[in-house]
Amino acid sequence: MGRYLLRRLGFALLLVFVVSSASLLLTHLAPGDITTETAIVLDPEARARLRAELGLDRPLLVQYASWLGGLARLDFGRSLLYSRPVSSLLGERALNTAVLATAALLLATLVGVPLGIYSGSRARGIGPAVVRIVSVVGLSVPPLIGSLALVFFAARTGWLPVGGMTSAGGVELAWGQWLADLGRHLPIPVMALALPLAASLERLQSQAIASAQREPFVAASRARGLGRVAALLRHAWPVSLRPVLALYGVMIGSLFSGSFVVEVVTSWPGLGRLMYEALRARDLYLVAGCAASGAFFLAAGTWIADILLAIADPRVRTGEPS
Amino acid sequence: MNRQARALLSVLLLAVVAFAGWRWWTDLREPAADEAEIVIGQVSSRGGTLISSLRSEPRSFNRLVLQSFATDLYSTLTQGKLVRTNRATQEIEPSLAEKWTVSPDNTTYTLTLRDGVTWSDGAPFTSADVLFTFQAVYDEKAGSILRSSMMVNGAPLQVSAPDARTVVVQYPAPFGPGIGLLDNLTLAPKHKLQAALAAGTFGQAWNAGTPPSELVSIGPFMLTRYESGQRMVFSRNPRYWKKDVAGQPLPYLDQLILEIVPDQNAELVRLQSGQIDMLQQQVRPEDVATLRPVVDQKKLELLELGVATDADLFFFNLRPAKWAKDPRGSFIMRKEFRQAISHAVDREAFANTVFLGAGVPIWGPVTPGNRKWFSPNVPRYPFSLDRARALLAGLGLVNRDADEWLEAANGAEARFSVLTYRGNTSLERSAAVLRDDLKQVGIAVDVSVIEQNALIERMVKGDFDSIFFVVNPTSLDPAMSLDYWLSSGSAHIWNIAQKTPATEWEGRIDALMLKLAGTVDADQQKAIFNEVQGLFAENLPALYFVAPRLYMGVSTRVGGLTPSILRPQLLWNAETITVRGPAPGQAAPQ
Repeated sequence: MGRYLLRRLGFALLLVFVVSSASLLLTHLAPGDITTETAIVLDPEARARLRAELGLDRPLLVQYASWLGGLARLDFGRSLLYSRPVSSLLGERALNTAVLATAALLLATLVGVPLGIYSGSRARGIGPAVVRIVSVVGLSVPPLIGSLALVFFAARTGWLPVGGMTSAGGVELAWGQWLADLGRHLPIPVMALALPLAASLERLQSQAIASAQREPFVAASRARGLGRVAALLRHAWPVSLRPVLALYGVMIGSLFSGSFVVEVVTSWPGLGRLMYEALRARDLYLVAGCAASGAFFLAAGTWIADILLAIADPRVRTGEPS
Repeated sequence: MNRQARALLSVLLLAVVAFAGWRWWTDLREPAADEAEIVIGQVSSRGGTLISSLRSEPRSFNRLVLQSFATDLYSTLTQGKLVRTNRATQEIEPSLAEKWTVSPDNTTYTLTLRDGVTWSDGAPFTSADVLFTFQAVYDEKAGSILRSSMMVNGAPLQVSAPDARTVVVQYPAPFGPGIGLLDNLTLAPKHKLQAALAAGTFGQAWNAGTPPSELVSIGPFMLTRYESGQRMVFSRNPRYWKKDVAGQPLPYLDQLILEIVPDQNAELVRLQSGQIDMLQQQVRPEDVATLRPVVDQKKLELLELGVATDADLFFFNLRPAKWAKDPRGSFIMRKEFRQAISHAVDREAFANTVFLGAGVPIWGPVTPGNRKWFSPNVPRYPFSLDRARALLAGLGLVNRDADEWLEAANGAEARFSVLTYRGNTSLERSAAVLRDDLKQVGIAVDVSVIEQNALIERMVKGDFDSIFFVVNPTSLDPAMSLDYWLSSGSAHIWNIAQKTPATEWEGRIDALMLKLAGTVDADQQKAIFNEVQGLFAENLPALYFVAPRLYMGVSTRVGGLTPSILRPQLLWNAETITVRGPAPGQAAPQ
């Protein structure tokens, strides 16, 4: 197990390196650079001077080598857009995204998994059918439409703030009030992120539990006199978790690296929005930093999912085929 | 109960729930009777917080080294100039210089600074700050973006300070905009930035990562909090020099908050739901209908500011090298081709389609919004497909095969591509209208909508057939937009930075514009510039079709506004703005 986890850690580091390098190189290849926006108001000499000042006139390989040197010291460089170290920007925004991602993950789990168990354990009935239909609708709605619909709902009712992480008027709030204010801003982006994920979890859990219910050991436990619900939760559910936990790896990765659609529409100052702004401005080092953090979270998510799976399903620990 | 009865009951229940939901939805947020009383302009109280949105964040707080909307707005709120353009009257007015005199030869201005003005940290504002600012602008190592625009005939201004309140600015030659040139110059605090200038790090000084406590202000507000990605919080500068007519210190507001909202639709929803008081961008024509119900509820005012001074433009690549080996150059480089296009576009229909009627036809780069320089007498090209076809036929462009497109004698099809950028709905619609209009006269247009940076990169490199774009003029005075007018200019977008004028008419415009820049008599200036506009309209290096009317949305709790068509339209005189009641998201004071 230890060697396995170490191998995954090595893979994670390689993933971070490859993804961030590729992002930096691809951004460099895209037309324009950070000075392009001002190109038509700057005379060519001034633009050349600006490019030289930012180090953008150096050959690509020299820029890349310099960035790699910094990376070895965990220095992601300096954002050309914000004139700040990339690492400090990433830290700040990753925290905001983490708040959102954790809440969305919790909500998706609390809604998706129980509903999946419910619909998967009953072959017929109006209830499971309704759950299935709602899930399919949830899966079909793109995050952009979902976010806009929720924002529209918030604007129409006035019950919740339509955007931002905290209230503009509440900058001087005490700690407790600040938390309450944050809590009022969370529902819209959290629901926009969590509802499609809950639908995915429900569908996956439903199929997995239906399949696990047909396993002989579940029937054996029922034959030993165990009740239907107890057999379901004690024997069928742990076995059904394997595909569900595999999805968690991807979910954690994508949630914690930030959804730029949801973050832009709801003005949430997270990593997704930072990446979007960096890409638009051709901020090479910030793009690479955001991509690296995305890859890191993806690898970490998969890693955590593997550990959870090993805990939930003994066959993973023993190497026994499922 | 049998199955049918249960089904019927379920349907009935659903219907009742749906009806109740519909009633709830339609009743929701109906204005209370007493909510319909607020009228803009009647609001006048001291204190309070105004909340506006801002689409992008500042990359720097140093206006001398970077120009962007966010940096300009920061500078308007916190910094000062010797003189400024009154956005409402479009005239130059005193600011930190309370008065000035000009020498008989119109080359030397002697300015007297206001007495007792201090920066927000208490340091006195003196002529040393003015000298320092000029030094920073002209120092090549400082990398100021104002350097070239603060030159006259390629030479810097000579500035001296006989005493702490007097500044003498000597121009190398008489200059048409006169003292108006100093409206470009945002003053920098010497006591804060001289070390950076000496160390050669002025370009990085006051960057976006600088803590607000290290910034000083001389404007009505000072930045007290900057939460990256979220908001900028400005507080009243208690040392601001300006007072109202009653002698009360300005600004009236305690706090001004700029919420960073990158998405235009999200910004609109926030305005609609009352979570912000105003936007910093004009309301798109297609959004007017969305805001109408809130306007009807008297919660929002839609202000019509007038005709914009910057209209979208369409231009061909007129670099001779581009068409040297392309047979289409035989007609694209001819002014008759561009005149035919101008005739083929129905500007009234264009205004209706692109701006939903909120626009006026124009025939040149100077719109009626620019009151001083607009000329109603420039040559026009009224909508006439017959006239367009005749001009095209005169160029040898006729339909020589079975398709619907014209061909030149050399076989080249009358076809070109138009680049425009994604995200600007009026540009995207304009390009589509142009394509449809030109199809009627047999010209094929291929529209490509690309990302903005990619478009600018291709424009600067000359890698395009034609572009639909918007250029924001740096000043209303054409003598201060020489980059656009002169053939050597970097914003002479159809053929950038020519070493010598590529055409005879560009040479004539160059000569006239240089003459204009050296003329101080207003009547002579107008006559010269009318001639320039005439030459421009005849040769049409860029085609202008419609200038939009600008609308801004503002909460009815806001008063004391003097809206302008010039940016920042609502906050250019933020010191006189007042609000009534608590800010959105804030509790009312007990």
